[in-house]
Amino acid sequence: MDVDMDERQIQARFVTKLNPPFKAPPSAITIPATVTRLGLSTIVNSLLKAGDPEWETQPFDFLIDGELVRMSLDRFLLAKGISAEKTLEIEYIKAVVPRKEEEPSLHDDWVSAVDGSCSRFILTGCYDGFGRVWKGAGVCSHILEGHTDVITSVSIINPLGDVTLATASKDQTLRLWKMDSEEGVDDVPAKIRPFKILRGHSASVGSVAAQASGSMICSGSWDCRVNLWQTDVSSAEGDSVSIKKRKTKNGTEEPQLEGAPVSTLVGHTQQVSSLVWPELDTIYSASWDHTIRRWDAETGKDVSSIICGRPFNCLSVGGEGSTLVAAGGSTPILRIWDPRKPGTSAPVYQFSSHTSWISACQWHSKSWFHLLSASYDGKVMLWDLRTAWPVSVIESHEDKVLCADWWKEDCVISGGRDSKLRISSGVPVL
Amino acid sequence: MGVSAPPKEADRLKTTVDENARISDEFDSEGEASEGSELSEVATEEGGGSSGDEDASTSDGSGLDDDDEGEKGGSGEEAEARGSSSDDEDASATDNDGLDSVEGSGDSDSERSRVFEESDSSEDELLEIQLEMFPWSGTRMSHILDMTLKGRITKKERQDKLDSFLANVDDSKNWRKIYDDYNDEDVELTKEEAKMISRLLNGKAPHAEFDPYAPYVDWFKWDDAIHPLSNAPEPKRRFIPSKWEAKKVFVVKYVRAIRKGLIKFDKPKEEPRFYMLWGDDSGAADKTNHLSYIPAQSQSYQGPVVSISTEVSGEWIASGSTDGTVRIWEVESGRCRKVWQFDEAVHYVAWNPMPELPILAVSVGQDAYLLNTGVGNEETQRKLGELLYVEAAKVSDDSNNPICSWIQDDEHGGIKLRHAKTVSSVEWHRKGDYFSTIMPADILFLLLFSLAIFRLYASAFYVALTCLSRESKSVMIHQLSKKLTQRLPFKLKGIAVSSVFHPTRSIFFAVTKKNVRVYDLLKQKLIKKLETGLREVSSIAIHPGGDNVILGSREGKLCWFDMDLSSKPYKILKSHSKDVTNVAFHRSYPLFASSSDDGTAYVFHGMVYSDLNQNPLIVPLEILRGHTTFNGRGVMDCKFHPRQPWLFTAGADSSIKLYCHN
Repeated sequence: MDVDMDERQIQARFVTKLNPPFKAPPSAITIPATVTRLGLSTIVNSLLKAGDPEWETQPFDFLIDGELVRMSLDRFLLAKGISAEKTLEIEYIKAVVPRKEEEPSLHDDWVSAVDGSCSRFILTGCYDGFGRVWKGAGVCSHILEGHTDVITSVSIINPLGDVTLATASKDQTLRLWKMDSEEGVDDVPAKIRPFKILRGHSASVGSVAAQASGSMICSGSWDCRVNLWQTDVSSAEGDSVSIKKRKTKNGTEEPQLEGAPVSTLVGHTQQVSSLVWPELDTIYSASWDHTIRRWDAETGKDVSSIICGRPFNCLSVGGEGSTLVAAGGSTPILRIWDPRKPGTSAPVYQFSSHTSWISACQWHSKSWFHLLSASYDGKVMLWDLRTAWPVSVIESHEDKVLCADWWKEDCVISGGRDSKLRISSGVPVL
Repeated sequence: MGVSAPPKEADRLKTTVDENARISDEFDSEGEASEGSELSEVATEEGGGSSGDEDASTSDGSGLDDDDEGEKGGSGEEAEARGSSSDDEDASATDNDGLDSVEGSGDSDSERSRVFEESDSSEDELLEIQLEMFPWSGTRMSHILDMTLKGRITKKERQDKLDSFLANVDDSKNWRKIYDDYNDEDVELTKEEAKMISRLLNGKAPHAEFDPYAPYVDWFKWDDAIHPLSNAPEPKRRFIPSKWEAKKVFVVKYVRAIRKGLIKFDKPKEEPRFYMLWGDDSGAADKTNHLSYIPAQSQSYQGPVVSISTEVSGEWIASGSTDGTVRIWEVESGRCRKVWQFDEAVHYVAWNPMPELPILAVSVGQDAYLLNTGVGNEETQRKLGELLYVEAAKVSDDSNNPICSWIQDDEHGGIKLRHAKTVSSVEWHRKGDYFSTIMPADILFLLLFSLAIFRLYASAFYVALTCLSRESKSVMIHQLSKKLTQRLPFKLKGIAVSSVFHPTRSIFFAVTKKNVRVYDLLKQKLIKKLETGLREVSSIAIHPGGDNVILGSREGKLCWFDMDLSSKPYKILKSHSKDVTNVAFHRSYPLFASSSDDGTAYVFHGMVYSDLNQNPLIVPLEILRGHTTFNGRGVMDCKFHPRQPWLFTAGADSSIKLYCHN
């Protein structure tokens, strides 16, 4: 750092909530006012290096009054109306940038759906009609065969306990797959068996979402309905279960259950494109009829709705208190609503760096500020609510990105039309 | 005293002639004044004939008096008689006087003084003589002397008007007298002077002796001279290079380069004047098929996409191309789901409007195919399998003349309906059971056919004619569930172009090139005939309400008909420069669109009010220019998404595009 004496100087103190190896000395130092994020990051790295000779340089992001610094310091202070006279308190966090791009996991066809809610494996759905379970980058452990058409959505039910997988397909059915947890090797079970076929939709099923407890799932379809299904055998709809013999690879015949919907939520007038079931009795559904509806799962009533002028493709609920609704659709703008605000359907945040339709968005499960979005422009963007610009842009896909999710809290997984599942790891969100 | 007088007098003399000319204007009014001066002149000559030199000055001086008419009145004639001679003398005298004065001024000082002395003496003599002869002129002299003394001339007192009138009234020469204001005297013009004035007034030369037509004297020396006229040295500018020339050279360089063809301009692209109407357009292999904004697929069309049709839920879209392929695409992602390959160019695709019957009707060459799209679960597939099955080739006979045969087609998975002629379009009834096919009957063929018959049997011809007049050969209506075919039981006058079923009632629209006939299928009668006034109708679309119809025409016009209003167009929109290929209404939004061979598609706001008194509101919204023209064909088809305000367009550039609102 060469400090030009002619320029304005600012007294600043660097603070952090990070753990000791990242703690910089709390004394105030004088820095030039023209430095940007890169300059601040260099300063902090040199401070840390002074305390610890084995320090490895890494990028940091900087917060002043809860806002990420995205321009030079003097311009930032001017824009925010912060006095440069007193000592400035700058909080630094690790920059949310993927450190490593893993090997692509090749599929036979376009990757349409991905779920990374279980830290042990990744579940993907593909246009060839197979679901796939990946242990890691490029390591496919299981292929789920059964659907006769494109898999549109996948979900991992109860990822912590007795894991069940759900796949939704354009053949108008959903399938549930059981993992045999007792035979697990390396955290991943050896066998996955088909468990249940859920019939009841009269058109292509577009989305599937599981309740947190794992006892129920909901599915949205092109027939404009949202169906709720039981996932386990011992349930009220047991009498409607018929047992079907199915040939498996090793020649033994296994019983396969068929299920019918427990209840149906009617109200949407067009395709239900995305579903979230964040709480026990609350279901959010996004549809091409330009609405996001909140349903009471118990009564099946439409509680409230958000109306936007565009069809929605994706939906995610999270953020502060797990209440913010993020949704994208056939516009390049990712919008975030706060349903707690009464009497308004205006989004609280709008992120418009994409250039084409948004195909997926997902909140980080732990962070209040971070979410990702995938778009047909071939980019996956990471967003922080504290700044209007994307924190990071992942451009590893050669074609449109159709799905994206977080995995293990520090990886971004995405699949697209280039038939590849991409894993960008080492994203230090927390 | 007398020294300064003579130059003054001479001065006055010189001006006399000029004065005459100047005062010619005042001729009439002051003419009387000059009478006396002539008399006085005469008197002067009579008196002092010996002294020629002094004559002029004397006469001039005498011109001032006007009191002497009385005594000199009698001698007027005499003076007139001698007028010419006296005038001559006068002129010479003037000359002399002038010369005299020149001589005087030209001499050396000593000489001048001598002359002055001489003149002094002579002047004195003159003065004496004058004083002797004209005692009245003493007053005049005293005036002059006054002037020389005081430095200014005192004007003589004006005569009383009455007196001057009385004095002039008897004077016959009064008209010749002019008052000279400059010299403060009355001048009487001579006859010669009067003539000169009259000549001037007539625009001639003032002197009678001047010959305006004198022979031309060529003064120029025509033979070459040794020396130039101007011997000035050559100017500098002739030796330095011109800036303008330098510029011109620069321009000329370009002009030459353009002429030689070294510089080429971007010529305006010439549209091919002709395109293959029936030929195979399989030259577009390099064009890739893609939907804008939504992902494209790996395979590409080889020829123009001629027809598209959306599934009723908007999940799928089907398209047909001249390369013989029919494809189904997923709208959301743009993925190609299914491909059928036919031997001939596909003309039309139409998706069954019932969601539980995912059947695609395709017209290919002489066949209309009903294809199982494979969408849906096992249940619907099973139903479809039953529906799309004919045991044996079933021929719909009509008076021993097979019009259409139903054949099972396992290759493509469906039913083939073999027609007698090329099928140009297929349209479904809203309930998905009936559908109509159009065979644009060849008029020439019909004529030849009937003529041939006429030669054989006149009676048979008559039967054929009645048969023709009873029902249309070109429009067929088929029933899928019963595998039945029947002809439209009406006669169409003209070549059938298109047909469409009413969206809510059992009404059928048959479109010919000139008009639209509206039939009630239940009552089996013609309800209405829409007079288009267009040269050639190409396409039709019906508002979902059913009371408004738009037609596209080959001259690029769009006609909006309000069926309740009139059988004439409510509005004609001239928007396209080339053929309108298709028109479309949106099912729920107040939108309609037209596509054209000029490579554009127009989107209009077309609001139809439920209030019958209110006319439909038509507002053009957008011009979509996504497609490039190819072989003279532009946008071949346009269809709205059934639920979103999105427009699909199929182009001759082998691509389908989706336009979204933003």
